[in-house]
Parts: sequence; C-alpha cells; structure tokens
Amino acid sequence: MVKNKYFYYLFLITALISVINYVPRSLIDRRFDGAMMSILISIPIGTVLLILFTKLMSKFPQQGLPEILNGNLSGFVSRPLLVLYSTIWFVAGLITILAFVDITMRYISSDVPSYIVILGFLLIICFSMRMRTESILYGLEVLLVLNLPLIIYYLLKGIFNPYFSWDAVRQMVTYLWDIPHYSSVAKSTFVFTGYINLAIFNRVFENLKVRHVWLISLTALVTLLIAFLMPIGFSGVEGISKHVYPWFTTADSLRTKAFIIERVLFLFYFTYLTFSLVSAITSWHITLELLKGAFQSKQGKDQGKNTKKVVDWACIIIFSGITLLMDNLNQYTMYKVGQIFLDVRLIGEIMLLATIFLVFRKLKRGRST
Amino acid sequence: MRIRQSGDSLLQQLSQQLSGNADLAQKELGRGADGVHMLYLKSMSDSSIVSRYVITPFYEMKDILAYESYIENYPGTTVGKDEKTLLENVLKGFICLEFENGHIYLFEANKNESSPVSDGQTEVIVQGPSDAFTENLQVNINLIRHRYQSEHLKAELTVVGAKSRTRVAIMYDDVRVDKAILEELRVRLEGIKVDLIQGAGELDKHLSDTKHRLFPTVVVTERPDRAVFNLSEGKILLVVDTTGYVVILPSIFNDYLTAMDDKLQLPISGWFLKTIRYFGLIISTILPAIYVAFTSFNPEVWKVQIALLVAGSRASVPYPSYLEVFIMLVLMEFLTEASLRLPKSIGPTATTVGGLILGTAATEAGLVSNIMIIIVSAVAISNFVIPLNMMMYSIRVMKYFFIIFAAVFGLLGIVLGLVGVVMYLCSLRSFGKPYFKIFALDQWANRVQGGKENGQK
Repeated sequence: MVKNKYFYYLFLITALISVINYVPRSLIDRRFDGAMMSILISIPIGTVLLILFTKLMSKFPQQGLPEILNGNLSGFVSRPLLVLYSTIWFVAGLITILAFVDITMRYISSDVPSYIVILGFLLIICFSMRMRTESILYGLEVLLVLNLPLIIYYLLKGIFNPYFSWDAVRQMVTYLWDIPHYSSVAKSTFVFTGYINLAIFNRVFENLKVRHVWLISLTALVTLLIAFLMPIGFSGVEGISKHVYPWFTTADSLRTKAFIIERVLFLFYFTYLTFSLVSAITSWHITLELLKGAFQSKQGKDQGKNTKKVVDWACIIIFSGITLLMDNLNQYTMYKVGQIFLDVRLIGEIMLLATIFLVFRKLKRGRST
Repeated sequence: MRIRQSGDSLLQQLSQQLSGNADLAQKELGRGADGVHMLYLKSMSDSSIVSRYVITPFYEMKDILAYESYIENYPGTTVGKDEKTLLENVLKGFICLEFENGHIYLFEANKNESSPVSDGQTEVIVQGPSDAFTENLQVNINLIRHRYQSEHLKAELTVVGAKSRTRVAIMYDDVRVDKAILEELRVRLEGIKVDLIQGAGELDKHLSDTKHRLFPTVVVTERPDRAVFNLSEGKILLVVDTTGYVVILPSIFNDYLTAMDDKLQLPISGWFLKTIRYFGLIISTILPAIYVAFTSFNPEVWKVQIALLVAGSRASVPYPSYLEVFIMLVLMEFLTEASLRLPKSIGPTATTVGGLILGTAATEAGLVSNIMIIIVSAVAISNFVIPLNMMMYSIRVMKYFFIIFAAVFGLLGIVLGLVGVVMYLCSLRSFGKPYFKIFALDQWANRVQGGKENGQK
C-alpha cells in the first residue's frame, strides 16, 4: 500500500511528458485558432473529469479496472472492453517512445541506427513494466524528485534569458478571445490525464483522497502556459511554426557557463529521457495489467500464474514488434498519429468514466434491492 | 534419567559409535558401586574444567550420593535421555557421566576456541567504539546485551545447517519489531536445507527471495554499535555462531551508505559525509561510462576546450575508448585483488609496481591516455568510500554494465542504465519491505516510539 502523494506524481509525470507527446506543437499549430482559449477551457474540464474519476475509483478501494469490470460484468462484455481500453495506454506509451527516439536521432545519436536506439528503449521498458505496481511508483518518485531541481533550473534560465521576447508572448495573448476547436481542447486536457492511470494504480492506494485539487489545476494551467508560450517567446509568433519539437529548439537556445556542459539541451535531454522512459513504463505496465485481466480465467489460481507469464511474454513480443514496425513511419505521419491519439484520448477517457459509473450504478442498485 | 537395561549400557553404545576417534576419552572413577563411568571428547572439552570440577570433587566428597547431587545441581548439567541427545552433546563438548545406579548426566565442559574481542577490521571508524564481534555466539550476545539493556530485547536460538549445526540467535526488540517480518524470518530459517553455514553473508543468500541479485538485501556487520543502533530501529539481528559477523534485516539501500561515524559527528558534518558517499557511489559507477560515451559518441556535449583536451590526450591511443577503459579497469581490479590476498609483507610492492610504474609507463607508451589514468584512480578511490563491503563489491560489478551500455548506445546508454538501475532497485524487497525509496521514513514510527519511551514530547 502506498501513500496518497503518489497520485500527484502520476499527475505530474503526465503533465511534464505532454511536451514530448506533441501537445505544445499541436497548440502552436492552432495558435491563431483559439489555442489560448482552449487552454483556459481545458482547466475546468480537466478538473471536473479528475474529481469525478477519483471519486468513482475511491468507491472501489484497492481494485483496478480489471477487477471492477470482471467482477461485475459478464466476461463477454468485460474482456473486449479491457482490450479496447488497454490500447489507449499502449498507444500513449508507443508515441512517447517513438517521438523520443526521433528526438534522440536528431539531437544526440545521429550515428547510431534507429533500430538500436529503439531496442535500447525496449530493453529497459519491457524489463521494468513487469515489475510490481508499487515498485513502479517508487521508481517514478525517485526519478521525478531527482529531476525536479533541473526543471526549475531550465525554467528560470529560460524566463530570465535576455533573448526571451515578452512582446511575442503579449502578442499571443491578444488571440485569447478566438473560439477554440475541439481538437485543441482535447490536446490541452492531456495535461490532466495522469489521473486516468488510477485504472490500475488504484490497486495499491489504501484509501485514496485527493486533497488540494486547486493545486493540481494550477500546476496544469502553469504547465500548459509555459509549454505553449515559452517556445513562442524564444522563436517568435511566426518563427515557431517551423520547428518540429519546439521545446527542444528552445532548450537548445540556452547556454550555460556553469558546467562542463555548455548547451542546456543536453541536460534537458537527460531529464526528458528519464521522464519519457518512466512514462512509457507506467503506460505499458497498465496495458499489460489490463491485458492480464482480459485473458485471465476467472477460476483456478495455479492456472492464473501460468497465463500471466504467457501474457507477459506475448505482450513483450507484440509491443516490441509493433514499435519496431512503426519505426518506419516518417516524421509527418508520426505527428498525425500523435494528433489523432490526443483527439481520441479525451473521448476514450469519458467513455471509461461512463463505464465505471454504469458498473457503480448497477452495483448500487443491486445492493438496494 | 534412565535406568540401565540389561546388556549394553547407553554409554557402551555411545563409545561404540564414537570408536575410531583418537580424541575419545573414557575413564573410570572409583570402583564397584561407588564407581562412575566418564566419556568425552578431549578436543572439545576443557581439560582444566574436567580435572577441577569433575575429577577432583569425586575424590573429595565423602560418598557417591553427595557427588551425584553435586553433579546434578551443577549449572549447565542436563540429564541424558536418549542416545541421540547424548551423542549430540558429547560432540558439542559435554562430558557424559554414568553412575552405577544407571543415572546419566551431561556435564557442560565445552571448550570454545575463538579469537578474543578485538578491533574491527572491515568497518573502521575514527571515533567511537572499536570492538568487533567474535566467532563466539555467547560473547557476541554479551556485546549486544551490554549495549542494549532493555527487558524488551529477546534472543531466540535456532540451529541451521545439517552438518555444521551452526547456532543462530535471533535478537530483536519485542516492542519495536515488525511481527510479520519476524514470522517470515522464522519460516525462512526453517526452510534452509544446507550442510554448512560458514559465513553470515551465506545466510543472506539462502534467506532472500531471489537467487541472482546484484545488490545485497541484508546488512552484514562486524560492529556491535551498528547492530545495536539497528536493533533500536526495530530491525532483527541474526547472530551467527562461528562467523564473527551479524546479519541485520530488513535493510534499505541507505543503510549501506551509512557509517557509524555519521551519528557521532555534528549533524551538518554527518550529512556532508553522507552526501560525499553518494557522490562517490555515482562517480565510481558512471565515470568510466561517461568517458566512453563522450569520447566515442558525443564529444559535442562537452565544452570545446574539454573535448579538445581529451582528444589530444587520446591521440596516440590505437584502439576505441571502451577497450582502453576495460583494459585499465581490469588491471585495477587485479591490483585490488592482489593487494588484498598477498601476504602483508609483499602487498606494498604490488601496489607500487602496479599503481605507479604501470600507470606512468602505459601513458608514456601511448597505450592509454592521461585522462584515463585519472579516471581509473578516481573510480578506485571513490569505490572505497562505501562503508559496507558487500555493497562495495556490487558497485564494482555494476560499473561494467554501464560501460557496456555506453559502448553500445553512447550518452543515451548511460541514461538508460540509470533508469534501469533505479527501477531495478525499486523492484527489490528486503523481507517484504521496499528496498529503495527516496524518502525512506519507514523508521519514523520507531523514532517516535523511542522518543516517547525516553520522555520526549
């Protein structure tokens, strides 16, 4: 059993990883099209979803999604649902990995073949995703806490940089009153989406109570604004459209004299590499656990252990295979896939919420009669 | 107590079983109805005890009944019930005494050959107590009880090992200990099926859940003060006879980087020392890997001056950087092993030849770069900063994984390795307790408890 603080870590890692998962870029693409407004709108939407989901999950203490669905619905409904929902997390992890491999190829290891880089990622992720749920949370905590001072350093370094143009930021703010598009709202709400990891991680929370929701909302708002406005401040309202990874370009325009490393990009890369690995590990851990739930027989515990192992290895092979195949996609297609995922994600989340709510209502009605 | 049956006496059976031992001693004291048969192993029993407390009183007492009651009431004497207990105890060094009326007694006269309480060898500290555990269980328990005079301190005795019959004392503070862990430990100790237990570290191997681990999950210490400190934190001690070490469990990663000095110094100096140790840990694991990654893959990461400096010093080196690192590190490992195993009189020669002459000559010949020599020495020194021996060895092994990762993936590989190690450490459990957490406040409850007992608010 773990303490409540781990919920905030789950939220924080997703908020921070949104930089890799194409959120700033998608918002920048729609910067004249209501991106500012969508950021503001996404805050109440995200907060409401977060509160609803945590409230619902706390009605099922120490149960994950597989237990909730398998225990209260018939196998014909619950199993396909579990497989369906597991794909959301799988794709989330996949996009994080592929985007980061692309960044690695571009900025760090341009002379190493991309499949070797992917194999390195897969090695660590597949090894770690089979660990116990608590262990993953401990690892998440360690890596987040170690990197947080660095993040603060980048932010201060960026904001107090003489080349940071506040005029560009002010100009961007003038587009505040444009009517936002659904897709940019969907992308902004991604910052909140860490709460959805409770679908599995709820198993290890003893008695989840989320206090200080305002703090989460505030963090999300600040994260979104910084993620969106900082690159604009550095590259200008027009110039920013030419960059594929606006945040890495921004980090690369920072220089430090304090270390034996001169370009802040490398420190930033180090931080985000750990984040994307941890984020991919959490996502795929959830996928794995959901699939285990889907393929587990309801009776017979000795059998269960064996099927778990089979599912483990089958998942490792399938996940790795898909990742290696997807490596052939070019940057443009990858970006499109990422965008579609971000759009579908919001609907998927609401569907998941509705499913759990229906199960809860069914349970309650069963009890009252 | 058992009445002798007709035919073979129990003592005769015993002497038959032990026949062929040169150190078997059989004596007859007195004659006829007043006689006593004696049987013991000379090597295991203390001859001065035998003569002073067994033989002399026999001739001084006025009759056999007085002598029997003297033997019966002597502290440590037990009554021999059956052949098995007789045999076991004679092998331990007890004296078997059989009276003519058929009563058999086991008189405790065992001789313990062990080194006296001496200064610690493997965990040296500057200030503070310097005595270390010995090979004798009783002495060790004495050392612990002496420092922890509480009615809550319990010591249970079990035996591990089919042939060595090593006595293991489980010691714990009854109030602070986690009962679930204690129960788990008892079950696991029962489950150990081996012939010999010769070292405390060996017990760790048999007690843990997974065989192939990179990191130790129980602390093995020779310092009584460390043992007692952990006792007060609610941990369990396994005092293993004949080994001179004590096992502390469950333990967390931080325990391995704690020296007892930290508690004795002023708080700020203590924290500083601990920080230094963590730095040493990081340097000795990833410094060689960083050298490989940055020279062979990502020289652009460094400032230009440094990149040029390294490239300049590597100009004459005819092979890739990872080979250079491997060669020098392996040589360094040889040096460490050699100076460890060599007799004390030759040891310094090995260090001089290896460290000074080889290092300088290798650089001058252009086989390795100057900077490489600096890195190797830095790694060697920082490795010795880790206070506990078992963790030191783990770290020594671990740096090679990092070099392999760096040689394959470059800078990326180091970060991959770091994340992998952190995740691996997090997946480890020491008796069901998480092994690696950044805010390890699990002992907080015990500290509060300790504060309450001492009347703090």
